[in-house]
Amino acid sequence: MKVLNKNKLPAVFDKLAQQSELFVPLQKKEQSGFYSWKSFDQASDQLALDLLNVYLPPKQVLLPQTEKMYSFRQEEGGVAISEVYEESQARVIFGIRACDLQAINCLDQAFLTRGFVDEFYKARRDNTTIVASACYKPGANCFCSSMGVNPLEPAGADAIIRDTGTEYFIWEARTPAGEELSRQLAEFLEEKELPLPQSQAFERQVDMEGVAEKLSQVFSSPLWEELSDACQTCGICTYLCPSCYCFDIQVKNQGEAGYRFRCWDSCMYGEYTLMAGGHNPRASATERFRNRFLHKLEFFNERYGMPLCTGCGRCIIACPAGIDISKIITAAKEAEWSA
Amino acid sequence: MHNCNCENPLVPQIVEIVKIIDETPDVKTFHVRNENGVPFDVKPGQLAMVSLLPVGEGMFSVSWQEEKEHLQFAIRRVGLMTDELHSVGVGHKIGVRGPYGNGFPVEACQGKDMLFIAGGIGLAPLRSFIKYCLKHRADYGKIQVLYGARSYADLCFKDELFELWPKEKDTEVFTTLDRPEEGWDGHVGLIPSYLEELKPAPEGKVAVICGPPIMIKFALKSLEKMGYNDEQVITTLEMRMKCGIGKCGRCNIGSEYICLDGPVFNLAQLRKLPPEW
Repeated sequence: MKVLNKNKLPAVFDKLAQQSELFVPLQKKEQSGFYSWKSFDQASDQLALDLLNVYLPPKQVLLPQTEKMYSFRQEEGGVAISEVYEESQARVIFGIRACDLQAINCLDQAFLTRGFVDEFYKARRDNTTIVASACYKPGANCFCSSMGVNPLEPAGADAIIRDTGTEYFIWEARTPAGEELSRQLAEFLEEKELPLPQSQAFERQVDMEGVAEKLSQVFSSPLWEELSDACQTCGICTYLCPSCYCFDIQVKNQGEAGYRFRCWDSCMYGEYTLMAGGHNPRASATERFRNRFLHKLEFFNERYGMPLCTGCGRCIIACPAGIDISKIITAAKEAEWSA
Repeated sequence: MHNCNCENPLVPQIVEIVKIIDETPDVKTFHVRNENGVPFDVKPGQLAMVSLLPVGEGMFSVSWQEEKEHLQFAIRRVGLMTDELHSVGVGHKIGVRGPYGNGFPVEACQGKDMLFIAGGIGLAPLRSFIKYCLKHRADYGKIQVLYGARSYADLCFKDELFELWPKEKDTEVFTTLDRPEEGWDGHVGLIPSYLEELKPAPEGKVAVICGPPIMIKFALKSLEKMGYNDEQVITTLEMRMKCGIGKCGRCNIGSEYICLDGPVFNLAQLRKLPPEW
């Protein structure tokens, strides 16, 4: 098998970063997330390949928090489009976990299927190579295996690394793009036989069997009020969620010119569905809360055949009100809800 | 550098406003085209995103496509962007992208008698279907239009309502105002009650309805009472939209996106969705 010596990672990253924008999990002071390797500061940053999970999900590599779409300029009697920004630069995401990769599989469904292709997303996605890190030790809030994710075999990876607990990662190329990385990294890869790591059991598990079907019958249940009671609609769950992709489109005007950009939005905010004229189909926190969890667990599943929650556990950690999606799944499963 | 990126569905094409018609104190109809005519073909009931840079974008039903010449949008002044749009003149350039959504089932309705029920600006989307039926007159049976507004001044498309449509073969237009008004000798009262007075029989008929949520709610009840089944009743929904292509998230009702799977649904389809419409 091919193995990669961990001590060579900085050199490996330097090499990859020559040809691509490379994103790796870094701990930057109090914050952790997927950052450009170019931003790595030896004095204050640490490589965080072991961290479960980095706080900020990697979705911003493909769907930046804010991205310019096109610029325009005012002309006599109107306006002209000057430039469309589609970023097709090569990118590598290194060290993504199976849950976050499954979230990207969800984004692919939302942005690339069903009639329209989102060209801004596609330009990035087509030029992104993904090296996933197989997970052998789930964290306390992890429940990916309950959501149909196999942490040992990240679906959709171009290459996979496996931490053997020694100074070596096992390196497996899975696609032609992964083989290309193997060629680029040939000088760092060694042939060595090492035992596969032992996987550990999940502390947190939920039973998703039948949950989507059950949820489809309980839209009007009063239990939603009980479940949403603590929710402050702060939106942190949506910002940290690796698969939440809703966006707003806004404009920045600078004198005679300007640009339109899109940015992450949150279904937890009242303005999200507020129409000109004042009508709001989801005016209350309970309605928005219900829509979010139904989107995660029922609606997305119905449309694309997979839940929009991958069990990464970030929202459980971050929610200031202690709302726990795994408990909502269990409540849905167990409660005698009446429609 | 793209001037008109037709491959990217989120980038508008630039069109010119070639005509503006004052319909009511707060509704204007804008005719737009580029140098070649229509920027794209639109089916009755489909939507397009109108972009007034730098102010904003808004999703509107296309109230008519005139051959390959121009698109018509009847737009009510109701917010920031529409307020600004009402202040620009002929010759102004704006952006437009689309078409979005499914549109009305014009083919499935062939051979049927058509009953159109609209309130206020709700006639704007239905107008594309009404005009389509009149253009393909032989394909449809009797055409009835029931339309109401708060006052005479608030009636849109008066020329068509009072002059053009009633002259068409086998076509009736019933107009009502919410309140009595000097000089108005027509019907006074709300649409659902007028509908129950007229009692159009459900046999062989399709009812197409659009208006304020409260009017839709009561008119649907009236239709049900008169014996219309859920497949015979069609409506077109409205939700806040940003992308128009089923990605940005906000216009969902259940697992359906109004911009993509809608905006047109029959009542049988709507009843399968969560009651957020």
